[in-house]
Amino acid sequence: MSIPRPRLPRPARSLAALVALALLLAGCAALEPPAAVTSQGQDTRDLYDFVFIIAVVIFVLVEGLIVYAVLRYRRKPTDTELPPQVHGNSVLEVIWTIVPTIVVLIMFVFSWQTLNQVDAVSPTPALTVRAVAAQFQWQFDYLAPDGQTVQFTQQAPELDLPVGVDVHVILRSKDVIHAFYVPKFLFKRDVVPGRENNFDFTIDPADVNQTFRGQCAEFCGTFHSTMLFSVKALSPADFKTWLAQQVATAAASPAPAPSAAGGATETTLALTAHNIAYDQATLSAPAGQPFVLKFTNSDPGVSHNVAITDSTGQQIFKGEIFSGPDSRSYPIPALPAGTYTFACSVHPQMTGKLTVH
Amino acid sequence: MATTTLRTSTGYRSGLYDWLTTTDHKKIGILYLANSILMFLIGGLFALLVRVELAQPGLQFLTDAQYNQAFTIHASLMLFLFVIPVLAGFGNYIVPLMIGAPDMAFPRINAFSFWLLPLAAIVMLSGFATGGGAAAAGWTEYSPLAQAKYEGIGTDLWIVALLLIGTSSILGSINFIVTIFKMRAPGMTLLRMPIMVWTMLVTSILVLMATPVLTSALIMLFIDRNLGGHFFDPANGGNAILWQNTFWFYSHPAVYIMVLPAMGIISEVLPVFSRKPLFGYKAFVFATAAIGALGFSVWAHHMFTTGAVYLPFFSFMTFLIAIPTGVKFFNWIATMFRGQLTFSTPLLYALGFLTMFLIGGINGAFSAAVPVDFALHDTYWVVAHIHYVLFGGSVFAVFAGLYYWWPKMFGRKLNETLGKIQFVFMFIGFNLTFFPMHILGLSGMPRRIADYDPNAGWNDLNLLATIGGFTIAFSILPFLWNVFITSRSGEPAGDDPWEGNTLEWATSSPPPPYNFDHLPEIRSERPVFDARHGATHA
Repeated sequence: MSIPRPRLPRPARSLAALVALALLLAGCAALEPPAAVTSQGQDTRDLYDFVFIIAVVIFVLVEGLIVYAVLRYRRKPTDTELPPQVHGNSVLEVIWTIVPTIVVLIMFVFSWQTLNQVDAVSPTPALTVRAVAAQFQWQFDYLAPDGQTVQFTQQAPELDLPVGVDVHVILRSKDVIHAFYVPKFLFKRDVVPGRENNFDFTIDPADVNQTFRGQCAEFCGTFHSTMLFSVKALSPADFKTWLAQQVATAAASPAPAPSAAGGATETTLALTAHNIAYDQATLSAPAGQPFVLKFTNSDPGVSHNVAITDSTGQQIFKGEIFSGPDSRSYPIPALPAGTYTFACSVHPQMTGKLTVH
Repeated sequence: MATTTLRTSTGYRSGLYDWLTTTDHKKIGILYLANSILMFLIGGLFALLVRVELAQPGLQFLTDAQYNQAFTIHASLMLFLFVIPVLAGFGNYIVPLMIGAPDMAFPRINAFSFWLLPLAAIVMLSGFATGGGAAAAGWTEYSPLAQAKYEGIGTDLWIVALLLIGTSSILGSINFIVTIFKMRAPGMTLLRMPIMVWTMLVTSILVLMATPVLTSALIMLFIDRNLGGHFFDPANGGNAILWQNTFWFYSHPAVYIMVLPAMGIISEVLPVFSRKPLFGYKAFVFATAAIGALGFSVWAHHMFTTGAVYLPFFSFMTFLIAIPTGVKFFNWIATMFRGQLTFSTPLLYALGFLTMFLIGGINGAFSAAVPVDFALHDTYWVVAHIHYVLFGGSVFAVFAGLYYWWPKMFGRKLNETLGKIQFVFMFIGFNLTFFPMHILGLSGMPRRIADYDPNAGWNDLNLLATIGGFTIAFSILPFLWNVFITSRSGEPAGDDPWEGNTLEWATSSPPPPYNFDHLPEIRSERPVFDARHGATHA
């Protein structure tokens, strides 16, 4: 980065130089990927920084030459004679062929080395998860150590993972091509139907208890932008407890019991999901008595449900996730008066407010 | 050849009839340019739709389905019906003039290649009149999403449109190759051809080798969708990655089809406005050929994240292709060094090309480093990259070419002041729109999303990009006004308003139907310069 010379010919020029420098520095500072939270991501980040430094040097050098030529070689009124008609210079041309060749070879070698680190797959991962993508939802199968048996399937798009250990992810698509992308991993991999891609990563222990946003990155159809998920980093102990609990719950609970033949006074609310959105943003229900929420999912092949959380974020009710077109009657327990949030566990951006009074 | 254009008008034929039936390469070239600029404007409106929707989080103006159609048709129009044909239009107009030929080798095929394009545009856009809307799976139409199960008849219309455009390109490329090899004037050896002609030659070879691959892929996709085929459908034993391989085997060389002639334009403009010959002419020719050859070995760098390609090979080849491009850059800059630069509008656009295409080259190197590509692929970084290459590169070169050759085509210069106003707005608007996209991409915003989380931190930069988009749109107004007023009262250009180097400046403006009354002697790549100043080298 050039520093303005102490003596500048004209104030306008010095101002222009300062503005250019400020823009350049601002541009450099902003062109930074997020801090990587996996060791593989950190390797990628190191490579990015290396490429970035070379890029800035080339940018400043070449743009500087262009600006210099533009400022220095303007045609003056006195320029009636032709300038020297130089057709080329073999020495110069050989230099500016060989130097870039060396630079790109160095970049290639460094990026190949990093690739080998990032793409390495451990034969004995601590955990294997299968991410199953479909229009427009994620589900995560936690596999037993044999790498085959499904211990438990997380239908909500939340991937809970232990930090500090090697996690192996297998990607499977039910329909079109998707991509598993977590920006803070500095990584993505396509989920290709008919192909099983896989990769490993290790989340940095320093990032325990954080949540990272993830999103489908390969255009997959109408509601591509709704295909979100999150990754939650747990300490290995917390993860073990969490997983055991989930496995136990999954084993113990069959499909939620249909609502018991309710009293005659029971209230029934109706809610429909269409095009990955609820048809109503607000619902209201009477306080202190159970009611039925009749939920219709009209999105073919897409899973939805309704889950209710109170104002502290505590989940009070989670309805069965099912694929449309279909409907379910959810029995909601009696709730104290207040404001609650209802949302789809598969599509967190589908939300609304439930007022109980 | 010229006899077809010498037929005198018999009175009852209107000017319109003349334009509709012409086989004169100059009129066909102008038709190509006019049609392409119309597509640029329509494609630009679709871009504005995209930018308006993304200006703030939430869906305000479009549904998800409409948004997907908007970005698909934006890219399809800009790539296939603007950038490729507009450069073919320059080639059509200028190549026969530059090599001292009376016309293209096959004038009727030339007219046919052009008229396929408006037809293709109508077919593609007619998707909006169908129930399911226009094609919506992105301009890359990845299978299985492009299969009939997911996408409606708009995709079939898109396929047919691309088949028509492909046919047009293939016929055009044969025409260019034959014209350049067989119709050069005496003395116009291969190594005296203007660089513009060289770039058109290499481009035509790329088109001829690559387009049939896309055509066959499109036919296979059509069979999949309509006739029960399963080439690209993994649910029935097909292979989804096969589509990507065939598609990019065309579409990566297509990037060079969209950039090489633009480099050709720049290589004509810079020497004229520097009053110096192009520095390193032969190196430039070899670099052009090298880019063309290497261009066939890098297609899978669009597929690094599929897990289905051999990464080190394609990474290596992609890095390698930076070398000939770098050589060209240094040659362009050396052309300006110790020159006498006149800042007419064509040179401003050429400088816009140099400064912006450089960024498009540098940010491309990030994606050649495979692990970095894992982070950046399919994010807004890639959107920034392609626009720095194709807008910062090709579009700026197109305007350089328009301002440079307009006096030759119409006998009147475009207004310089309006041209400079347009340049300033376009340059600022372009950077406001596309530079923030680097940052959006780094922070994880995927491309092709209709909506985004308001808490993701992307709101301000998206708004900035939308403001930039409207600035670009605004910059088109002085251009249109310029065309309108100069057609009535523009400054007469004369034969050679810029003190040009190449043969088109040796004839009248506009040239007669048969192009040349007589040709100057051709002893170098700058015959008109030599005639003006006397040769400066043996």
